[in-house]
Amino acid sequence: MATTETPAPSSTAAAPPALPQIVAHKVERPNTGWTSWVTTTDHKKIGIMYLVLTFVFFILGGVEALLIRLQLAQADNTLLSPQTYNELFTMHGTTMIFLFVVPIWAGFGNYFVPLMIGARDMAFPKLNAMSFWMLLMGGIVFYASIFFSPPECGWTCYSPLSSSNYLPTSGVDAWIFLIHLTGISSLIGAINFYATIANMRAPGLGWGRLPLFVWTILTYSILLILALPVIAAAVTLLLTDRHFGTHFYDPSSGGSPLLWQHLFWFFGHPEVYIMILPGFGVVSEVLPVFARKPIFGYKAIAAATVVIAFLGLLVWAHHMFATPSPTIVLVFFMMSSFLIAVPTGVKIFNWIATLWRGTIEYKTPLLFSVGFIGTFLIGGITGVFLAIFPVDWQLTDTYFVVAHLHYVLVGGSVFTIFAGLYYWFPKMTGRMMFEGLGKTSFWLMLVGFHTTFFVQHAIGLDGMPRRVYEYPDVGNLELYNQISTVGSFILATGIGVTVFNVYRSLKKGPIAGPDPWKGNTLEWYTQSPPPANNFDSVPRIRSVEPMKDIRRQVARQGEPAEPQVPIASASTAPEQGLQPSSGG
Amino acid sequence: MDAAVPLAGAHDTHHHGPPEANRSSRVDPQLLGMLLFIISEIMVFAAFFTAYFFIRIVGENEWPARGTELPVLVAGVNTAILLSSSLTLHWAQTSVKNGNRFGLKAGMFTTFLLGATFLLVQVNEYVHIGFSPADHAQGSVFYGLTGLHGAHVFIGLLLLGVVTVRSFRGHFSKEEHRGLEIPGIYWHFVDVMWIVVYTTIYII
Repeated sequence: MATTETPAPSSTAAAPPALPQIVAHKVERPNTGWTSWVTTTDHKKIGIMYLVLTFVFFILGGVEALLIRLQLAQADNTLLSPQTYNELFTMHGTTMIFLFVVPIWAGFGNYFVPLMIGARDMAFPKLNAMSFWMLLMGGIVFYASIFFSPPECGWTCYSPLSSSNYLPTSGVDAWIFLIHLTGISSLIGAINFYATIANMRAPGLGWGRLPLFVWTILTYSILLILALPVIAAAVTLLLTDRHFGTHFYDPSSGGSPLLWQHLFWFFGHPEVYIMILPGFGVVSEVLPVFARKPIFGYKAIAAATVVIAFLGLLVWAHHMFATPSPTIVLVFFMMSSFLIAVPTGVKIFNWIATLWRGTIEYKTPLLFSVGFIGTFLIGGITGVFLAIFPVDWQLTDTYFVVAHLHYVLVGGSVFTIFAGLYYWFPKMTGRMMFEGLGKTSFWLMLVGFHTTFFVQHAIGLDGMPRRVYEYPDVGNLELYNQISTVGSFILATGIGVTVFNVYRSLKKGPIAGPDPWKGNTLEWYTQSPPPANNFDSVPRIRSVEPMKDIRRQVARQGEPAEPQVPIASASTAPEQGLQPSSGG
Repeated sequence: MDAAVPLAGAHDTHHHGPPEANRSSRVDPQLLGMLLFIISEIMVFAAFFTAYFFIRIVGENEWPARGTELPVLVAGVNTAILLSSSLTLHWAQTSVKNGNRFGLKAGMFTTFLLGATFLLVQVNEYVHIGFSPADHAQGSVFYGLTGLHGAHVFIGLLLLGVVTVRSFRGHFSKEEHRGLEIPGIYWHFVDVMWIVVYTTIYII
């Protein structure tokens, strides 16, 4: 085990004539401590760094949200200045999208895609490390602006608001560089995921047996490759408009502010699916494990993922119904947006059918997944309202939209992120998370979430626009806003409980063993946490649920035996993952 | 099993470490990565072409802007220069596959020179064209598209420069020439993209 690693594991070129020899002149002592983290190219360490970093940004974005809610807790409040308020919602939105939800899926993907497909690492380990560090740089560039002049243009930075005439401060430039840096990070990551999934699957792991989480990461990667370059180009044009006097978005010299909206939303709408599809994948992994039942409609779910991604590229202008567009265009984008409800509905029915008559184990990952289904469904239904353009003309830029997007982003993505965290924490650390704390966290988050955002539908229907720092005390507005603020603090408490749970479980959590949940996929085959090389032997995959096959095989033989492996490894003991008795 | 190299059988008892990586695709990850990257590049260009479309078609602006002229002929010659560099690159690639080292070196060197010439001619064009990106939206998108392409030529030249130096140092062989193939794909992409840029900007 202690021999030198080949620097690039993927460099096994197609059958070279001579076997490459690695001559170890001296064995370097492995890095320990913090240098082992900053120099690593191991997908697991990079994955952990992604998860920790994005969670830090999640907390920052959450604090910004709480400040926003505090300001809105009272009519005509003067807690924050209008400028600070604008900065806060810009930072909040940008952080949550570009520094939390999108990259945290890269974190989970980094850790689990190679494990789930039986690979040793990602296809390009060095590029993988670069992805992470680019993300960190993007975050630093962006957050450094709080010491100077944070951006105030919202996460969409619409032109002409973002032009140098109206926002001459450098905050918008920090935002632009954040988009560039995190964009490069995600793009490299996406190419890496695709190459890994295409090239490094275990023997027998055909496309029809790929775990659903891997399917969604594959789709996530394709969407990133198609959508990110467009926003990168759009912000580059914005940068030249701001600093080199070009006129791309300037209507007085032949440019068009609508160009920004089209480019932005051509990226922005697929971004929505970039953020939610891996969450669908997590739920599709968690539900069958905790319902003790195969996933219902594997092929339908995988196909629905791809169809959602495809349709997701054709609906961007439904964010622009309020712009002057021909009715036929509005109708096209309304109809294409309706269509997305179909594959999404397919998934929801499949998940319900998976739970149906299952032997459900009410563990925290399951609770978050089920909470997700209900919450996301509400967000999906309000999405259908908003897709109808006459309705959207009434509701656009009101709190109804804020409620809708938080139902799909928090109720959708964040709940599935927590499901994934509770589900995979034992694999990443070797210890279980505490169930009591987990369930407390879940219920606080569920109640807090709905208290915060359900009432915002009413706030929006009463006509309160989004992105305003104050409102008059008319009707029930103040009451509604107070309910929402109270809810946001309950939600924050729930998240805090999970943070505490992570901290405590790292030290005192019960030892997990390789397969505590009796999982279906290959990551449960190796130890927890997995060794540097992931697998000492990779079994041949024969179905969608390889671990079930292995457990059955072990039970048939009555004793742990060497599975059918392509290459026996004489040096290490048989994997403990074969023990059928391990875990609950 | 399908693609695993039967390495362990040779010295089973001395085998340490992880099992051989399984290859589940016939396409190299490096090649696949470059193709995916090129797809993302096409999307960057598509976004710039959207800007062009908005300014010229949606905005109904005159093209080229009133009182300006685009040097169609010079750019046409330049196009021929860039396209011929794809041919010389192909010559270098076939040469290395046939074990012809002179062809490899001469092909790479010519390709590099042709690419550098293209870039110089373009810079010269910028100097003499008579309008700046700040003059009007047409100017912005002219410099935007040609500049974006020029930046790609520059990156391509950096890659080809490395390949040229390596081929003079005796790198690459009949069997091992991926370091030439992958940047080559990028260069061909840059050339093809120029045809699109040239057609939309100068001809239509």
